[in-house]
Amino acid sequence: MRIWLLARVHLGTVAVLFVLTLSACLLVSGLPRTTQASYDEALRRALTGAPAVQTDLTVTAESFRRGEDLRERAQFDSRERLWRELLPAPLRPLTAGGGHMSAKTTLTPVTGTGGKAYVNLGWLSDADRRVDWVQGRAPGAPATMRFEGETIPVIEVGLVEEALPLMGLRLGQTVVLGENDYAAVKIVGAFRAKDPGDRYWSHNSDILHVIEQKAPGGEDHLRHATTLMSDAGLSVLSGEGRNLAYRWILPLDARAAGALDVPALRAAVAEFDRVVQLQATGSQYRVETALPKLLGDFLASLSTAQTVMYLVLGGLLAVALGVILLAVQLLADKLEHTLSLARARGGSLPQVAGTAAALTGLAVTPAALIGYAGSYLVPGPVLPIVHAGPVIVVVVAVGFAAVRLALVHRTPLHEPREDVASTRPSAKRITLEVLVVVLALTGAYLLRARGLGAADQSAAGQDPFLLVVPIVLTVAAALVTLRCYPYPLRLLVRLASRGRAAVPFLGLTRAARARSGSVLPVLILLPALGVSVFASVISSGIASTQRLASWQQVGAPIRVSSESEIPAATIERVRGLAGVEQVVLAQTGRVQVGYSAEQADAIAVDVAQWRRILEDAPVGLPPLSDGALVSPGLRGRGTLEIGWQSRLKLAERGVIEAVPGFRSEGKFLVVPIGVQLRPAVNTLLIKGDAALPELARLVPSATVVSQDSALRAIQDDPLTSTVRWTLVVVTVALAAYALVAVVLSLVVGAAERARAVSFLRTLGLSEPQAQRLTVLEILPMIVVTALAGLGLGLGLPAALGPGVDLSSYAGDLPVGDYSPDPFLPGALAAGLAAVAILGAYAHTAISRRRSLGAVLRVGDLT
Amino acid sequence: MNPTLSELEAKATRPAAAFGGDAHIVCDNLVRIYKTEGVEVVALQGLDLVIDKGELVAIVGASGSGKSTLLNVLSGLDVPTAGVARVAGMDLLSMNAKDRLRYRRSVVGFIWQQTARNLLPYLTARENVELPMKLSGGARGRRRRAEELLELLGVASCANRRAPEMSGGEQQRVAIAVALANSPQLILADEPTGELDSETSEQVFDALRKANRELGVTVVIVTHDPLVSEQVDRTVGIRDGRTSSETLRREGAEGQIVAEEYAVLDRVGRLQLPRDFMNALDMERRVRLELESDHIGVWPAREEPSND
Repeated sequence: MRIWLLARVHLGTVAVLFVLTLSACLLVSGLPRTTQASYDEALRRALTGAPAVQTDLTVTAESFRRGEDLRERAQFDSRERLWRELLPAPLRPLTAGGGHMSAKTTLTPVTGTGGKAYVNLGWLSDADRRVDWVQGRAPGAPATMRFEGETIPVIEVGLVEEALPLMGLRLGQTVVLGENDYAAVKIVGAFRAKDPGDRYWSHNSDILHVIEQKAPGGEDHLRHATTLMSDAGLSVLSGEGRNLAYRWILPLDARAAGALDVPALRAAVAEFDRVVQLQATGSQYRVETALPKLLGDFLASLSTAQTVMYLVLGGLLAVALGVILLAVQLLADKLEHTLSLARARGGSLPQVAGTAAALTGLAVTPAALIGYAGSYLVPGPVLPIVHAGPVIVVVVAVGFAAVRLALVHRTPLHEPREDVASTRPSAKRITLEVLVVVLALTGAYLLRARGLGAADQSAAGQDPFLLVVPIVLTVAAALVTLRCYPYPLRLLVRLASRGRAAVPFLGLTRAARARSGSVLPVLILLPALGVSVFASVISSGIASTQRLASWQQVGAPIRVSSESEIPAATIERVRGLAGVEQVVLAQTGRVQVGYSAEQADAIAVDVAQWRRILEDAPVGLPPLSDGALVSPGLRGRGTLEIGWQSRLKLAERGVIEAVPGFRSEGKFLVVPIGVQLRPAVNTLLIKGDAALPELARLVPSATVVSQDSALRAIQDDPLTSTVRWTLVVVTVALAAYALVAVVLSLVVGAAERARAVSFLRTLGLSEPQAQRLTVLEILPMIVVTALAGLGLGLGLPAALGPGVDLSSYAGDLPVGDYSPDPFLPGALAAGLAAVAILGAYAHTAISRRRSLGAVLRVGDLT
Repeated sequence: MNPTLSELEAKATRPAAAFGGDAHIVCDNLVRIYKTEGVEVVALQGLDLVIDKGELVAIVGASGSGKSTLLNVLSGLDVPTAGVARVAGMDLLSMNAKDRLRYRRSVVGFIWQQTARNLLPYLTARENVELPMKLSGGARGRRRRAEELLELLGVASCANRRAPEMSGGEQQRVAIAVALANSPQLILADEPTGELDSETSEQVFDALRKANRELGVTVVIVTHDPLVSEQVDRTVGIRDGRTSSETLRREGAEGQIVAEEYAVLDRVGRLQLPRDFMNALDMERRVRLELESDHIGVWPAREEPSND
């Protein structure tokens, strides 16, 4: 048959199908790309955020005897080439950039300092590119000297500028190192890093800075400095008698990393370590990197995001498919006359079904192609679902058209006898449905019971059980809705039949007798509402937990905390700053508990004032006028005695899990600031919206943080923002689909309804009554489905809550507070009902335009 | 000696050799039961009908009497539940889906009552006539045949018009052309003039008669229209899913049409008495029969004291 002609005749329906397919393909192909792009971005941030020493691959070897020493640069170079050859394929693109090599000694004492000063010997392969010589000159070749009757090497070295005064050294000085195997260094220059902020220095911070340590059991400071020598110096650098370690650093280029490669990368690092160890030729080589741990942490937070995304995108795909099928059904209804005539006149089943499939294909294939092409405008890597999504949509739509029409036209005459009402469903079907419901409930129970125990598995990938349960729950809810929805309706019909008004009775009776075509709208509306409510609940849960976490981190709208005491004059200036409403003074410190070595963190503060600052915050403290609030670790001791400036005896007045802005774990206590005779205020808790830079300028020694900035930092994480953003997009898309489903189901039943209404109008039904009739007919289905969908959406987070750990999106606090935000679900339900009513009114308004006679004639087909 | 009632019954139930012989349409004890989830509606309950090739027959009956069901069965759109239905030597009960499709394509053509249902509104008359030929993988010369048919039925002028641009009568005549497209042996028409005024009805009926006479096609028309039922050679009445009466028309000696109405006696000897006959004599439940030399007498049951 002429497909083009059919397409032209049914242009409206074909266009609807086209638009629905286009949007579905765009969403199904585009959203996974953006989410995957954000996963990649999150991985890059996680890797670039970590110090280079953790992410880079470092091959190390120690030299213990002369035979193991590397005396010249070429030896380093040849090994570096070897390591690069040994790199497993997944790591190669990530380590393409140039690395460097180093040789450093550790704990090399300056002779005669009694182990208080250490000047280590260091060599960097690319020192000339990394440092500027600001005093003296670059080191040259080593020489020799006599020391205690022996000839010892004198290595020319340079030190970082800041180390000279700290170590008490000067240019030109020669220092003898070692306690028995002596060597001397001659300090010939001082350098400064060209770019001290470069990730490079993460590996060599010992060269750039003097490390100070407190000597065990004493007040003295031990200082470690690492010098820099020339290539020539290597010839006299030996591991014999020194702790000498060689390092080959292969820097990781995080820009080339993709979230999809993470499991392969973890395996590759392990493999690299294995093959490197096999290269032992005296020296033991090994790979040092924290990359597997970083990747593991990333995978753990990723898998939760993926689970939520899978549920939400899967729900979106299912709903989009459902709406497309509804549109295909509309098209099939429109083709009814053509196809049944063709079938009666000798059209074979393949001809009839083929026509419908071809017409559907004509509508959906170009749309799917455009949607697929459009998804390439969305940044992000190409995943299998990007290709599979549009194919699934096209195959399902065309297949549904072919199968549905083949079933309908299996026998050429398919006019159902409308005088025969359907009876009870078969026992088999009821058994199957009960089975599904029982499985769903059991699954939800098991998921809850297992809960967080499975969290440690999350790194291993998706939890199939977690993914299946919501689907079965949705199916079960749909079955229960479909099965139980007529019962309340019949009750209403019975009540309405007693009333005098005809319209409620007729409308509800028609609703109760709705043909099985109304199953599809239920199957669409239910998951659409369910998933969108689920998404909005999760999203608002994350939002409120993020807020909680930000308060938990800061403890006040603005917190100024300093290592040293903040002078009273400064505090007065802070009070006078524009925007500052209230300042609460606090002192923090580490205190001795009792007379033992036990220590605890303490904060002395005016709790009553602090509580006023926290009035609107989701965190708080119990009131305290004397005594102390203690952490669970300090509970049950009755009266605590602490040493903080003076000895204080404090009665336990309550146990708290966390002090907002200070501690949430370990041992801590809160005391009223009045117990200090002279409080050394080092923390200001400020209410108001003062400018942070201004505060930082007033209190130079302090760190200034605000709850807003903490919240922004939590929200700024790419994974977090993508999860929330996707949830919002999906909620909006699903709400739109739900509305389209309502409109389509109105249109699908339009001809039949128009006929019935026309008949009734000949019996004296007025137009307003006809409108009410239409609304009453469609409303019960929408109301019942909307309620069931709301219930499902609100119930899913509760059912899955412990299984889905969203803490990594909420400042590491567990998201547990899924208090439903009444606004969005309410708005969704109200919107649906409003559109249904508007649609019904519009529908009757349109059918009014046709004359009664024409409607009856058109309708009188059977 | 006169045979007893039981002997007559035994004779009637004895299998008869090939009921209807080689007639074009044979329905023997045809039963069609609609069953939807446990509820049964018996539409045809043992209908007998024999129509010869080239006949023009009208079927009349009250609404719900089963005439449309009969037509659906004969057109191969519906499958009878039991009995025999044979058209042009093809058994409608034992046909598989493929045979049924071939049957619909080449043996039978039909016309519905609703003019809008017979034609696709977005195709021209000629394209509508070509459609069945295309569906059956039609031979070449479709266009010529379509034009010939339209010419024959007097609607050649409508060839390039679409359904909404034609009058009801024109649409029905195009529908007859569509039904004739694949040169069927049988045309079934379900109230073809039901929606038309008498003048247009006349034209449509003439078109059917033309097809019957000029193309030798057997035509079966279900109708309420006396204009149609009084002009055909034979009118079959259907009541409660059975053939109840037949009216034969023949030309009398003076050229006038003589119509004689017969009751139908089925193969097991059952007879439907006209309802007004039964009412006139107050016949109920049982009657007395008496066999005479050239007829059977039927009397109301005697008034006797009931002891059962």
